[in-house]
Order: sequence, then structure tokens, then C-alpha cells
Amino acid sequence: MYLTVEHATKTFGPFVALDDVSIAIEKGEFVCLLGPSGCGKTTLLRIIAGLAETDSGVVTIEGETLSNQPARKRGFGIVFQSYSLFPNMTVAENIGYGLRIRGAANDQIAARVRELLELVKLPQLADKFPSQLSGGQQQRIALARAIAVDPRVLLLDEPLSALDAKVRADLRSEIRQLQRTLGIPTLMVTHDQEEALALADKIICMNHGTVVQAGTPEDLYHRPETRFVADFMGTSNLIETDVIRRVQPDLLQTRPDAPDADYIACIRPEHIELTPDADGTATVREISFLGNLKRIELDSPLGPLLVETHGAGGFSPGDKLALGIAPEHCVWVRDDVIGAAA
Amino acid sequence: MTDKTLPRGTSGAPPARFDGDKALALVCVGVPLIGLVLFFLYPMAIVFLRSITTVDGEYGLSNYAEVLGSSGFWRATRHSMIMGGATTLLSVVLGFIIAHGLYRCAFRGKRLIRAVIVLPLLAPSLVQALGLIFLLGRNGVVNQLFGVEMEIYGFWGLLIANTLYALPQAVMIIGAALVLLDARTYEAAEVMGASPMRQFRDLTLPAARFGILNAAFVVFIITITDFGNAAVIGGDYSVLATEIYSQVIGQRNFNMGAVVGIMLLLPTVAAYYIERRAMRLQGRHPVNAQRFVPRFTPARDLPMAGLNLLICLAVLSVIAIVFYASFVRLWPYNMSLTLKHYDITLAGGYSSLWITIWISLAAAAGGTFLVFLLAVGLRRAPAMLAQPLQVLAAMPAAVPGMVLGLAYILTFNSTATPLYLLYGTAALIGIVNFYHYHTQAFLTVMTGFRQLPSALEEAAGSLGAGLGRVAVNIIAPFVAPMLISVFFFLFMRSMVTLSAVVFLTTPDLSVAAVTIMRLDDAGLTSQAAAFSCCVMAVVAAALLGMKAILAYLGRNAGTGSDG
Ligand SMILES: Nc1ncnc2c1ncn2[C@@H]1O[C@H](COP(=O)(O)OP(=O)(O)OP(=O)(O)O)[C@@H](O)[C@H]1O
Ligand SMILES: [Mg+2]
Repeated sequence: MYLTVEHATKTFGPFVALDDVSIAIEKGEFVCLLGPSGCGKTTLLRIIAGLAETDSGVVTIEGETLSNQPARKRGFGIVFQSYSLFPNMTVAENIGYGLRIRGAANDQIAARVRELLELVKLPQLADKFPSQLSGGQQQRIALARAIAVDPRVLLLDEPLSALDAKVRADLRSEIRQLQRTLGIPTLMVTHDQEEALALADKIICMNHGTVVQAGTPEDLYHRPETRFVADFMGTSNLIETDVIRRVQPDLLQTRPDAPDADYIACIRPEHIELTPDADGTATVREISFLGNLKRIELDSPLGPLLVETHGAGGFSPGDKLALGIAPEHCVWVRDDVIGAAA
Repeated sequence: MTDKTLPRGTSGAPPARFDGDKALALVCVGVPLIGLVLFFLYPMAIVFLRSITTVDGEYGLSNYAEVLGSSGFWRATRHSMIMGGATTLLSVVLGFIIAHGLYRCAFRGKRLIRAVIVLPLLAPSLVQALGLIFLLGRNGVVNQLFGVEMEIYGFWGLLIANTLYALPQAVMIIGAALVLLDARTYEAAEVMGASPMRQFRDLTLPAARFGILNAAFVVFIITITDFGNAAVIGGDYSVLATEIYSQVIGQRNFNMGAVVGIMLLLPTVAAYYIERRAMRLQGRHPVNAQRFVPRFTPARDLPMAGLNLLICLAVLSVIAIVFYASFVRLWPYNMSLTLKHYDITLAGGYSSLWITIWISLAAAAGGTFLVFLLAVGLRRAPAMLAQPLQVLAAMPAAVPGMVLGLAYILTFNSTATPLYLLYGTAALIGIVNFYHYHTQAFLTVMTGFRQLPSALEEAAGSLGAGLGRVAVNIIAPFVAPMLISVFFFLFMRSMVTLSAVVFLTTPDLSVAAVTIMRLDDAGLTSQAAAFSCCVMAVVAAALLGMKAILAYLGRNAGTGSDG
């Protein structure tokens, strides 16, 4: 364990923003903190950075407790969503600021700034002011500034969410590449599951101030433990136990032994096989074409279903189909979403 | 009106409506424009002409030669500049300490500080001077208690009075610059390892740079154009404002007054011009910026809290002593309390207070209406008309109140035009008050309009609403808070201003600030204090009323702007 947060709790008045949260980051790991708005991601990040205090719980790095260390002594790097560059300093001064504070020599700073500007592919901007840069450029500079001092941990709070789609995709892969080459342990906050899936070695999924599930992107996508995670990580078909029992009882094999209401079946849209069959039980309602795949909405004894298929199969609305669902593709998740039965 | 006009849109608006819009826009711009020409440009031209009118009625520069050759003028100029510079330095330093305390430090009692700091704005400037005399004068509290006698009349007294009077402006301007810097900027610096001292040097100071510059010029203008403090506590320390007064009122030498007025106008215009430029350099508030919430840091916050407390005590004590003195039977010999000073013995008694309230209400209502018209019209007026108009509307702020007042007396006390009818009326005093503060009122409304999303207006337009309907239904509710602010701003300023109206009052028609000055002149200092308290009470009530209305509007607006 390189960096850990243990049993962190944080309240704002009566409101519990973090409720006994524990997380860990390994050396060189890229971890995404994922969750809906207001679930406490930023709060957790700020606690790690030292910008906020916990009510209880500790942050440690390489076994050393950080609780009494102010943010400026921690040697971390941070990038916010926006507005964090120093408006009255040039790009070069911004990037060199951390080194200047540490008393580095001028030529050393200049060399490092040049190197970082190359790294983020903006060597021509050294003498510009932040207000003269586009949003994407600003974020690149903020990134360069954060890694200039070889931080022990890099903290990113939704660094991409203020950018438009194309810039976001470009910068996303660059961040990933940069992090891989430099090997800086990185914690990135995001509420975009696609971003998390694409970037992370490990995803920590949060909801209502608690960690719901942590694991690799594959874990969270293919083996969600709760209904919240299944829902949040991409689309899924969620089907109640009694419906499965009635329509396709073989899927019950993998179900944990628990009352009906506790678990619900989760079947990803790409795991349902469709075969044209005049006596089939399912009917095509609507088809949308998404370039590389087709999204098909069905009416079936299991209820309305969403299926994604690649290429082949010229279905049209009204067609009868037979469904094929393998038991290993039916994941049983705990129903943690209150009062929202399908 | 054939096919060519079709691409304009499919709304099928009848052409007649289009013309009506144009006419309305013209009226919107035209009425305020006539006002500005008649009550600002024309009098200013007159004052200039009078300054170059010689004794024998010819045009020439002999007045200037005489003024520039007199040692009295140069002494007053030197004093004005020294006083302006010293006050600026002091107010900006103290203002920065307060603003930094309010927005960048963590301690309790900030609401109180804010409340105390605006106190000087609630009273005519000469109340500062009055308070200082009660506090530090020969018969003042300090001398009575500690036997420390100091010469308060003159440079030092005037410096303190001017500083206290200019402080609220300095705090507001510097504070506005400080809050521009996003909290995340500080947090980024913090995480990068910057100590609080470094954050102050590398972030706070550069961010406040333009605010400080701005405040400096504003304070400088306020100081060199203020008349009340100089008249009451200046003593032998003559400044340009008192020099104009003595030329006009003392020696009835209007043309020489005009020359001195023009000479006072020069530095003011220069300072105002630079200030406007500096304004433009300061950034705008980013839309979803995050406010900096300082965390308690004893090494920084305890000394800052102490300094803030000291400054506030100084501001408060000067006002409080006036309040106290107004109840003292015979300062400093009989300190028992009485209400007798509230029985004003000067001819007219309280009538000038009531008149001032009426004048202020009229100036505020009429003025708010006019700047609103102008702002509405400017949105639709063609650029070649709108741009010069904006410049014109922003010009009055560069003109010292003394000069505007002088211009008015020269213009309206002449039988040459029917405008003479206005001379000696309360209406003219209302008018001069409005044009004296025209710029601030206008700029406030323009700022309000800038927050109006143009999409909203366009949507209403495409729904078929004409300019009139758009103004009433869409624009007005959106800028209502702005209009309320402008109304109360004009009201409160009109209640306390002295410099512009001092020339326009007559034996039969006086205003509150002038009455206070006369009471003080007549040696009725305690009555002057009592009268000041009445004025402050009215203005304070207005301020509270404004806050209440704005709070009410803010609650009802829900999703409206959070001005
Ligand atoms: N200083 C504060 N005072 C009071 N409540 C706060 C404060 N900071 C955060 N909160 C509350 O704590 C909760 C978690 O906030 P946080 O900023 O961590 O959410 P987040 O997961 O980062 O959300 P987002 O995706 O919208 O950024 C929110 O409900 C927020 O309203
Ligand atoms: Mg957040």
C-alpha cells in the first residue's frame, strides 16, 4: 500500500459527506474515484491533499501518517476542473512555480519548464498568460505544473469535465500515457464511467459518501456487486428474482441464497444472443444504429430488454426472436437502490 | 416592403410595429440626451466661457494669467495635491488592511466591520471633521482626559477626516479585486508548497494590483474635490475646493472661481481617465468561480483582526462622538445630557431637512427613470449614436461637485435663457444632484443590463413582444434589483452631498448639509451635531430599507442573479 485512507469520516453540520471511507493506492497505480454528483469524491480528494480535515480517520503515505502535515508539506500535485492557473503569471512561470518555491536555480527551472512544455505538446505557449489559452491548453499547463516537482501523488479533480468531447478524448489518452511513463501514483475524480473504464487500473465507485465497490474496470463492469454499480457502469438489464424463476429458472444457479428482494439479476446488453424464430417469445420494438453496433429494444417475458449486437442480423420491428442467455452471464447484484423496483 | 424583406423572419410582424419600436428607442435615448446636454454639457461650456471672459466682457486669458500669477492659487494647488496624495496613501493602506481582513482572513465579527466601514457614507463629509473636533480639538475628549492638546485644524485634521471619509470606497474597490481570485488558485499554490507569506506575495498582491490602483485614483478624486471637511477643519490649510468657494462666495468673483474650477477639473479628469483605463485591465469574475474560504491561521489572523478592530474603532469613534455630543448640554463644561440641541434655533429649523428628503426622493425617482430609459435605448440605438452617448453619460463623474455647482449658478442665474426660471428652486438642486452622480447610476444600470441574458430578450422578441413590452415584462424584473440600488444610491448621495449644492442654496432654500455647515459656522456646534444625527438617521433608514427590499426581491427571484 503506497497511499491509504483509513476510516475517513467527514460531516458538514448534520450532513455526512464521507461515512467511514477506506481506500488504497499502490505505487504507480492509476485510480479513478467514480460516483454521481455530490457523493463526496471531491471531499475525499481534498482530504488526501490536506486541503480539508477529517472528523476521524487517517491518511498515510508509505506507512507515514499525514494527519498533521499541512497541504504544502505533502509534496503532492493537484489539477482542478478549471480556474486554477495563476492568472498573473505566464505559462512558464506557472509551471516553474513549484521549483521556484523550492529554491531551484533559474536555469534549472527554465530547462524543466521546457521539458514539460514539450511533454504536454505546447512548447510555443511559454510566454502566454492563462487568459490567452483555450480550456484544453489550460488543463495541459495545469497538468505540467502539477508534475513539475515530481509529486509523490498526483490528484486530479475532474480535470476533463469542462472540456468538449474531442479535446477531452485527446487529453484523456495523453494523461494516461504520461502517467504510465512517469509512474506517478494518480487519483482522479470523475463522474464519467467511460472515462474511468478507459483510464483506470482500479476504480473506486462511491455513492452517498461510502465506497460501494472497488476493483479493476473489468471487475466493476462484469462483476458488479450492487445494483447501483451495475446501473452506474454502463447500461444493464435488471430483472427481479421472481420473473427469472418463472421464465428462465436455470439462471438461478449462480444466485446467492437470500430472500427474493435482496438480489436482482443483471444481464449486460451484449450478453443476450438473438436468433430469428417465428415461435420466439420476444418481439423487436425498436432498433437504433450506433455505427459499429446495433441497439435493439425488445418486449419479452422477462420484460423490456435492451440488447446490443455487432453487424449481422437484419431484424426489423415486429420480428419474433428467441433469446439466449448463458447462466455465467447473469450476475446477481445486491439491490441497494431503495424504492426503485423495476 | 416586398419579397426582399421576407427573409427577416416568419413572425409576420406588421411594418407599423417596427416603426413604433424605432420611435420608442429614439424617445428612450432622446429624453436623457436632452437632459445631459441641457444640464451637463451646456453649464460646463458656460463655466469654461466665463473663465475666459475678462472684466470688460471680452474673451481673453487674463483671468488665467491673474490666477496663475497669484501665490494663493499655487499654495491651494500644492495643498490639494499633497493632501490628495497623503490621503490616498493612507486610505489605500488602511483600506487594503480591512479588505484583506474581510476576504482573506478568518476571524469573527466581519458583519460588524462591514457595517462600521460604511458609516462615513451615511453622513455629509463634514461630519468626519465635526467628530474630530469633538475628539481631538482644543475642547475635545482627548484634551479633556489626558491634557494632550493638539492643533487639529489644518493638515493633520483634514488628513484624518479625508481618510475616514474615503475609506469605505477604498475598501469596496480593493475588496472587489480580492474576491476575483478563485479559491482553487490558492489551493493549487498551497498543494505546490507555497507558504501563506508566498501566497500573499505571489497571488494576493498581484491580483489586488489593479484594485489598489483604482482605489488610489478614486480616493484622490474624492479628496481633492471634497469641500465639507476642508471647510470645517481645514483651517488655514487652503485647498482648491475652498479657494473656489472663497472666490465665489467671499469675493463674488465668479470668473476667477470659474478659472480655479477649471484648474481643479484638470487633475480630476486625468485621474478619472486613468482610473477607467485601469478598470478595464482588471479581469471579470469567472462564472462558476469558487469563493475562497480562509482557514484560521493565528499568525496571520490575530494581528489582522487587531488592526481591523483599531481602524473600525477610529471610524466608529468619530461618528459616535458626534452622536454623543449632540446630547451634551454645554460641551465641555457641562456634560449633562439634554435634548435641547435638537431644537434647531437657526432660521428655518428643520425645514431644510424635509426639503432635502423631498429633493432626494425626486432626484432618485427621476434619475433612476432617466438612466433606465437611457440604458434601454442604448441597447437598440445604432453604434454611431450609442458610443458617444456612453462616453457622455460617463463624463459627469470627472467633474468635481464644486465645479458643477458653480457651472449651475453661472448658467441658471443668468436671465439670458428661460432656464432662469429654475434658479433658486428645489428642482434645480434635485437636478444638480442627479447629474453629479449620473455616471455611477448609469454604470450600475448598464452592469445590470449586461447580466441580462440576451437570449431571454431575443426569445421575448421572437414571441412578438415589441420593445415596450420587452422592457416592462422581461428587462424590468431582471434589473429591478439594480434599479432599487440606483434609486437608493441617488437618494442617499443627495441627502448628504454638499459640494455641488453649496452654491445653489439661497437664504430661503437650504439643504441639510448646508444647514450643518451654517450651524457650525455660527458656533452652534452641538446643534450641527444634532442636525447631522437626524440626517444620518434618515440615510441609515434608507440603507436598511434598500437591504430589506433587495433581500425580499432576491428571495422571490429564486433563480435570478445573485448580484
Ligand atoms: N464546505 C461545505 N459545506 C457544506 N457542505 C459541503 C461542503 N463541501 C461539500 N459539501 C457537501 O458534501 C457533499 C459532497 O460534496 P463533494 O464536493 O465531495 O461532491 P462530489 O462527489 O465531488 O460532487 P461533484 O461530482 O458534483 O463534484 C455535497 O452534498 C456537498 O453539498
Ligand atoms: Mg467534485
